[in-house]
Amino acid sequence: MDERATRTATATSIIVRLTLAATFLVFCIRLYSLQIVRGASYQEQAAVNRLREIDTYAPRGVIYDRNGEILARNRPSFVIAVIPADLPPDDLSTELDEQRIALERLLAVLEAHTDPEMAIRIAEVMFLHLGREDFKNTVESAGYSLSFRLIDVEVLKQDDEGLEVIEKVPTLIPNLSEPLPIGGLLALLERAVAHGTQGSSYKPISVLELVDREQAFQVAEETFQLRGVHVLQKPVREYPYRELAGHVLGFLGPIPKLAADKYKDRGYEDPNEPVGLNGLEYEYQDSLRGLPGRRLVEVDILGRESRTVNIAREPEPGLNLNLSLDIRLQEVMHNALARQLEETGAPHGVALAMDPRNGAMLGMVSLPSYDNNIFSEGLGEEYQALEVEDDTRRPLYNYAIGGLYPPGSTFKLVSATAALAENVITPYTTLVDRGPIYLPNYFYPDDPTQAQEFVSWNHKLNILHGSMTIVEGLGLSNDIFFYYLGGGYPDFMVGLGSERLAKWMRLFGYGELTGVDLPGEVRPVVPDEQWKRLELAESWTTGDSYNMAIGQGYVLGTPMQVLVSTAAVANGGYLVEPQFVQEKVDTQNNVQWQYEPVLGERLPVDPGLLNFVQRGMWHAVNGNYGTSLDSRVEGITVAGKTGTAEFCAYDPEIQDCADRDHEGNLPFHAWYTAYAPYEDPEIVVTVFVYSGGEGSTVAIPVAQETLHAWFHDLRP
Amino acid sequence: MIRHFDRPLFFAVLLLCGIGIAMTYSATITDIVLADYWQRQLVFTILGAIALVVAALFDYRHLELLAQPSYFLLLASLVAVYFIGEVKNGAQRWLNLGIIDVQPTEAGKFLLIVFFAWYLSRFQDRIRRFSYLLGAVVLLLLPLGLVYVQPDLGMTVTLAFISGALILINGVRLTHIFLGVAAAAAAWPLLKGTLQNYMLRRIEVFLDPDSNADAAFSVKQALISIGNGGWIGMGWGEGTQTQLRFLRVRHTDFIFSVIAEELGFVGTVMVLLLLFFVIWRLVRIADLAQDQFGRLITFGVAALIFFQTFVNVGMNLAILPVTGMTLPFLSYGGSSLVSMMVAVGLAQSVVMRHRKMDFS
Repeated sequence: MDERATRTATATSIIVRLTLAATFLVFCIRLYSLQIVRGASYQEQAAVNRLREIDTYAPRGVIYDRNGEILARNRPSFVIAVIPADLPPDDLSTELDEQRIALERLLAVLEAHTDPEMAIRIAEVMFLHLGREDFKNTVESAGYSLSFRLIDVEVLKQDDEGLEVIEKVPTLIPNLSEPLPIGGLLALLERAVAHGTQGSSYKPISVLELVDREQAFQVAEETFQLRGVHVLQKPVREYPYRELAGHVLGFLGPIPKLAADKYKDRGYEDPNEPVGLNGLEYEYQDSLRGLPGRRLVEVDILGRESRTVNIAREPEPGLNLNLSLDIRLQEVMHNALARQLEETGAPHGVALAMDPRNGAMLGMVSLPSYDNNIFSEGLGEEYQALEVEDDTRRPLYNYAIGGLYPPGSTFKLVSATAALAENVITPYTTLVDRGPIYLPNYFYPDDPTQAQEFVSWNHKLNILHGSMTIVEGLGLSNDIFFYYLGGGYPDFMVGLGSERLAKWMRLFGYGELTGVDLPGEVRPVVPDEQWKRLELAESWTTGDSYNMAIGQGYVLGTPMQVLVSTAAVANGGYLVEPQFVQEKVDTQNNVQWQYEPVLGERLPVDPGLLNFVQRGMWHAVNGNYGTSLDSRVEGITVAGKTGTAEFCAYDPEIQDCADRDHEGNLPFHAWYTAYAPYEDPEIVVTVFVYSGGEGSTVAIPVAQETLHAWFHDLRP
Repeated sequence: MIRHFDRPLFFAVLLLCGIGIAMTYSATITDIVLADYWQRQLVFTILGAIALVVAALFDYRHLELLAQPSYFLLLASLVAVYFIGEVKNGAQRWLNLGIIDVQPTEAGKFLLIVFFAWYLSRFQDRIRRFSYLLGAVVLLLLPLGLVYVQPDLGMTVTLAFISGALILINGVRLTHIFLGVAAAAAAWPLLKGTLQNYMLRRIEVFLDPDSNADAAFSVKQALISIGNGGWIGMGWGEGTQTQLRFLRVRHTDFIFSVIAEELGFVGTVMVLLLLFFVIWRLVRIADLAQDQFGRLITFGVAALIFFQTFVNVGMNLAILPVTGMTLPFLSYGGSSLVSMMVAVGLAQSVVMRHRKMDFS
């Protein structure tokens, strides 16, 4: 090599070495920047990658009856779910949609293409995820058609005064009882996953729920190679007595959309967490739920847990509830009432039993009832409503606390007590039933043809009761006697009148909720002069007082209120609060909370006077010609009061009340309310049969069987 | 002759291979399918070491005779690929030889190094004339064009870099360099039109990582892995990004990130130091070479190792776009490892014969 070439070679060598050194330096600087300067930030990101906070549901509290029978428990069940973040992402550099392929394979493993039952179940779960609108749009834009059904959906709206009211809006919902083709299911699944990706894409999205152990293991095996598919455990609520205690226990369902915000404020993070939506499950939701646990786990790229790093919070199991309800008594009541409804063809009825000393509820039947298990396996608000609302008798409705009816003669307990307390009569005052009485017209007092006729039920049978005191009046349920008490008669006697009737109606609890630990209780209006003027722009008449005194006219109450008013007579004048849950007990069986019976102030009536009301009820069962001799129970003295309540179910089509008989008489509700033993009452029973007919013959046997079962088989 | 065998170079390479086996073990042990890869890599290393020694014993000067045939062999196989090649993943790069599919460009790197080392050293005194330089460029562009249309951008760039480096190192006039740059600039618009979609995508992804979720994910996870290492790393087999498989293709393309996560800044700098020590040693051999042919062959080998290191580490550190290029000696893979060892063996052959009068 010549000198010049050597020089060039040396220079080249130097340049090459400098380049090497520079590259090395650049790499080191970059490494330093990534590992040291920004190390903490990347370490945090690595932690985000591998660490997940996982909520562990606390087992929900079990509900027991008074004898320790399980009324509601948790059954293990499995859910097949996908975690959106773990599904293979769509690699844009290939024609294939990797995510779609993965979901397609999942559907194939679940046999959604061959098993129509499976296709329906998956569609139902997707409906829950997406909601009505999205579900419909997704299926239709995938090119499949849906059939629809019409239901009423409750919508929260603001009325003119800015108050929130629930309005029923007729809405079309997709008919889910026909299997969707696989393409439709796939579109739904993709949509649900897309939704999931917007939020926390690590939250599992269920594809199939209520999978039993065997099927879960099978799917777990087959999906092991499917990225992002998980089999999760999720207990399902089970009610062994099914429809027997449907209205007492209620049911669970995903948090209603209307109330989502409120639940969130209460610490319910997952909008699909099942919560109590009715009955005790609703009323005691927070106690039953316990506190979800939280643990920190390490997951691999497929989202599979590799180990638990840290348990942030152990789940706190929900509290168990001990009820005063006796499921055996409940069964007797249910069967007796169901039989009576079937025999008479009455659409619905109620039977209630309570301890009058402390309000402990022993039984509550509202028929028709429903099997609350269908909700655990169910479909969310809209379809829950649908399944049972196909039944026009509205089984979801708890008529015991949600139905307002004229209490009929059972209200005479109130008027009788009022009349005695207000000295309208003494216990020995006799009044005479000489047949119908005629109330002169207010404007034409001298024209007898304008007078209003008031009859007693016995007049239709051509019976006159003659003279009687309050005891016989109650025992025979003579209406004339109570007309006089309620409205008096011109030039003859002064009655209670509107204000005093209203006052005593309130004192007996009709103006307030009874406070039973169940949701959905309604409160009637106590009619008085002011109310009538405001509502009907008419003034109160003596006739109104007559009707009110016998529990007709404007008087309305729930069966639960009749029960409470009966209890007040039975226990010597105390208003009790009906209560199902007596104790909340933790898993170690320690009592965490015990119910303190709420006794109202004693009614302002001398116990000696109230005793005559009790005697009246005794007379009805045990006296000559009593109205409810059939409710006697061997070895026990029963006291009772029948009720026959005329009602008008206004039908706009005929512009009149429905179901009049051939003589134009209105139909009747049948009531019976009773307690026993007479000497030392420990159980009150109220039975109500809608449109059960006159004379309480329908209602009495239910009460009789209930009392008989209680005293002869079940009493502790 | 044997005493000139570059032992530091040899042991540095073996050390790198050892680290490669260890890191392959760590990167694959959580994967049932890949769990035995470290054993395979061990076998490849032994084979590679033997190949290295054999290549060192072989007198590199005989290669001069093979220079022209190897060029024509390369061209012929590329033309064959063009017409009858196998298409895999949208690219026509493979020749079906009955039993196995061969990718001619893998060996092509060596064929080209040998050929250009021969051409440049043969015409070294005349290369300053424009015609000879132009000849070199034309001879380069022929195979380059064929590789480019396969399409294989990574290999095209690799081949261009190695050959370009050889031409520059051999010496060119400054004016010719400017001329070359100008010609390249003029050809750019033409070239750009022929860039394949996937090539554009890769550039696009590099400039805007969010445009391809998948590639962006890989790069992001690599950065997290590296950053997760900190000063001394999480320990061998303890890197969470690696062990929980957040890091993708971790035993090949992203083995560097595995090293960074588990061995930390300190360990990674040591490994980089080893890599650059190997290249440094090769440059030293080139300086010592007794003839221009040997010098250029060694520089070619150094350029090859440097380029792959540069591109792979650059990709791991997210300062270069994602390419499927492996990290010499460290990434899992038999053919890559053995060919790198053969290349080092060639350089050893050069250094062992650098004394003209050495008859020992």
